[in-house]
Amino acid sequence: MAARRAGAGCWQRALWLGRCRLPGGWESCRSSLSSTALGKTVDNSQVTQEEIVLPRRKTWDKLAVLQTLASTVNRDPTAAHYMFQDDPFLMPRNAVNCRLYSLSKESGRNAAKYIIKNFPQYFDKTFAEPNIPCLMPETLTPQTEGVSEEALRERIHLRMVKESVDMFDQLLQAGTPVSLETTNSLLDLLCFYGGGEPSPEKEQEEKEGLEEPEVNASEQKAPKRQFQRGSQSSGPRWRENNHAERIFKIMPERNAHSYCAMIRGMVKHGAYSKAYDMYIDLLNERHKADVHTFNALIRAVPYLKERFAERWELAKDFLTHMAQQKVQPTLLTFNSVLKSLRRCGGVGRTMSLLVLKEMEALNIEPSLASYDHLLSVYYKGVDGQSSDIISEVLNEVEKRSFTAQDPDDASFFTTAMQVCCDLKDINLAYQVNKVLEKGDNWKFLDVDRLNNYWSKFFSLLCMMEQIEVVLKWYKEMSSSLFYPTPKNILDLLQALDAANQLEVIPSVWEDVKQMGFSRRQDLLEEFLSLMSRDQHPSEIQLAFAKCAEEIKAVHEPAGQGQVPLEWTGSALGHVVVLFSRAGRTQDAWKMMEFFQKINRIPTDKVMDEFLNCAKQTNYPDEAIKMVKLAASLGLSSQRLKNRMEEEFELSETQKKALESIKCDGDSSDSDSSDSDRE
Amino acid sequence: MWGGVRGGGGLAVRLLGARSKQEFFSTSSVLSKDKEKSAASKESSPEGAAKKQEDGAGTPKQQLLDIIGDMKVEVSYRKKLQQLKTSENKKQAMNQLEGLDSEGSVPQGITEDTQRGKPLSPELVKAASAVASSLPRNKKKTESELLAQLRRHEETTDKQKKGGIINIRNVISEMTIKRQSPAQRGARMSGRISLQLDEDGQRLRREGSSALSVDSRRSLKVGKRLNIFTKASTEPEHALKTVSSPTIWDLEFAKEVAAVTAQPPRNGFEEMIQWTKEGILWEFPIDNEVGMEDDAEFHEHIFLEKHLEGFPKEGPVRHFMELVICGLSKNPYLSVKQKVEHIEWFQKYFEEKKELLQEI
Repeated sequence: MAARRAGAGCWQRALWLGRCRLPGGWESCRSSLSSTALGKTVDNSQVTQEEIVLPRRKTWDKLAVLQTLASTVNRDPTAAHYMFQDDPFLMPRNAVNCRLYSLSKESGRNAAKYIIKNFPQYFDKTFAEPNIPCLMPETLTPQTEGVSEEALRERIHLRMVKESVDMFDQLLQAGTPVSLETTNSLLDLLCFYGGGEPSPEKEQEEKEGLEEPEVNASEQKAPKRQFQRGSQSSGPRWRENNHAERIFKIMPERNAHSYCAMIRGMVKHGAYSKAYDMYIDLLNERHKADVHTFNALIRAVPYLKERFAERWELAKDFLTHMAQQKVQPTLLTFNSVLKSLRRCGGVGRTMSLLVLKEMEALNIEPSLASYDHLLSVYYKGVDGQSSDIISEVLNEVEKRSFTAQDPDDASFFTTAMQVCCDLKDINLAYQVNKVLEKGDNWKFLDVDRLNNYWSKFFSLLCMMEQIEVVLKWYKEMSSSLFYPTPKNILDLLQALDAANQLEVIPSVWEDVKQMGFSRRQDLLEEFLSLMSRDQHPSEIQLAFAKCAEEIKAVHEPAGQGQVPLEWTGSALGHVVVLFSRAGRTQDAWKMMEFFQKINRIPTDKVMDEFLNCAKQTNYPDEAIKMVKLAASLGLSSQRLKNRMEEEFELSETQKKALESIKCDGDSSDSDSSDSDRE
Repeated sequence: MWGGVRGGGGLAVRLLGARSKQEFFSTSSVLSKDKEKSAASKESSPEGAAKKQEDGAGTPKQQLLDIIGDMKVEVSYRKKLQQLKTSENKKQAMNQLEGLDSEGSVPQGITEDTQRGKPLSPELVKAASAVASSLPRNKKKTESELLAQLRRHEETTDKQKKGGIINIRNVISEMTIKRQSPAQRGARMSGRISLQLDEDGQRLRREGSSALSVDSRRSLKVGKRLNIFTKASTEPEHALKTVSSPTIWDLEFAKEVAAVTAQPPRNGFEEMIQWTKEGILWEFPIDNEVGMEDDAEFHEHIFLEKHLEGFPKEGPVRHFMELVICGLSKNPYLSVKQKVEHIEWFQKYFEEKKELLQEI
């Protein structure tokens, strides 16, 4: 907005500029007219007497200044993504939130667009001066009235599927012939949408489907998922005798375009064998298919044939047909071939390289999607592959800069990182990351893929790197670049354990609380077991005990209908140990009591730790209670009792109380309940 | 972003610059009000008066309110629209008047001048009368001739000013970004890179053969090709491409590909880049060349002294002409050609009266 206002003053400034440079003699007569405008510049005019070379008009790139400025801004490792900075309350804390908020923001925008689109009558004022077309509703109501081919064309252009079909039928009934060209564009429309209406909701779903993260997708699942994306998410499935088929049948004459539209529609909406039959019809009619149709057919190959070799043969057939029909293949053709080869097992591995060579021979540069397919052909579901292919691919990718040419381009970096993870090759991972940071390559990762990519990278770092390096990455990336998954935190904990740096755990716990993972049982277990495993200096023990207290709080009813977590025996034991080591006997005893409540049995280690603590802090009563508890749970309390007698200085009453506990480990249930009663 | 009022102060600089100083710093809306008033005052003929009542905006109170309302920093749009509409009506009325006037191309004298005189500044009138008084005969006629020319000039200015607004709107609405189709881009990309890669390929091949002796089959650079296609010249393909218009498939595919790299902006500047591309934001860098015709540069608009060579070096005529070019230099609504023509008119005029002038 400020920009606009400033723009308004341009003419005045031009005048000012002009005035300063005027020869002195002029000033006197002018200043009498507009001395205010001249102001202080009068004096300067005496100085600038020399010849002034007026600048030629210069055309500026309207984005150059902004791009330069944008390049000066680096990522702030302490802040969330820019899109979340409108509202601090809505700063995402983990990947789920991040996804939710970014989708919400987008869906808010879509809602606004929906309103503008559906109620254009409320937006008929041109408020902005100059007008801003992208903020105004588009005309979506047809302007042509009546039944005519012109009207039909307009409805097709506006993508009104149902209206177009109705109009077409009316025209036919009226006996008006519809030109082949118009019928073909109607077929295009029908085939693209597979017989359904294009609706904003569907587009939304489609988008969501596209953004769905592949966090837990195993190698085998991934291609299947992609197939679903390609065929199902983009609309309804092809139905028998839908409008497209009907219109195709009643067309008096059909040309190659009609056939191609049908084939593409059928492939897009999952009617693969129909598409193949249609292709055969096309050949019989002696038409030639276009390159897009061949691309679609090649993508359909894995669904047409069962066996790997047959699949490849069919794909090769299509390619040969292309060559025969003098159809020049494009990048997308070869990408389709490679994509199909992903589902050709071992055949794919041999053939994909031949395909790449063919591309090279035809001077077609592979896009990221080509490499993506190649990597998954080579590395998906196969163990123990060598890293030759990927490092060659990376060397190639490093040398080039990429623009998006294929929708599959987006998945390259995640696939590459996945391969690095599978190969457990940290140097390759660094190389992938270097490539990603080069130029505009980062743009190929959307928010979800970014999270996926970094969480893989981070897991690999935890596994392979020095702990200092891991922590450095962690500090820099977490929550500004990506949101660690619980799995990443587990990896980090293991890395800390391996490097013997358990004192960092409390700060990690802080982060975990921030990220909202404090109710994940597996994480809590890991935290507790790591903290309670070894004896540490007292400072660390105190910090650990604080963590334990917070973990304990999670298990307690917190109000507002939040269901507290169930204690597990081991978790409880760990907490007791942690409290005991920190000398918090009272807290530890409270935890001991939980064992009885939830019918769990403390381990010997837990009880020993508790006794040690009670001894150090001089709480013999608690120790006796503990022995009593052990007895009541039917544990062999004799050993504990002996320990007590040896190590504690007990008063007479305490001794008596201790004596009264039935010490027999194998005493019957009734006995132990007796002792309870005492 | 809705609030982007273009024009603002820049438009305030008006014809012949002889308007009083405070107007220099007032906003355009006030000025245009001013103009409206003047237009209204012109319409003292019965026809005009009727029109005025129809408009309903002509009552002084209303005008005053309008002016006050517009003097706020934020110009409300409804008002602005209204104003635009009324001023357009006025313009029509004015054109009608003009049509009536046009029969008598010779100005009718000073009486009319007082009627319509408001748009011309007293100083100019003074200068004109000075010129006229230097002539022996027909002083009044000369003066009114000069003033009439100036006024006609102002009318053109007004007309073109309005035209200018529309023009700018057209320019901006045509600002939609033309996207290169990805296929084209791809073709260009591959063409650009292929050469370079060939060299690298050779280098790699050597490396590959030495390092990967065991599994030479499994390398990107070694091995056979499919040998299905032959490299064809790209010319026939291009011819085909230009003929057919994009189908829904092409459009949607382009969208899909564009979506691959369309990431949310990472900082404020990137957001501004996005807005600029969408046409929401004023284009950077903000310079004095927006909306200018292509042929003229700004100095041609502003430094008009060079056109005064045909005039006497001193005297009242010179003074008058200096005032004229001073005003012209501040007028953004006339093209350079019109400005020059305007000056030439005076030159011819004074040329014709030369004998009279020299008689003194």
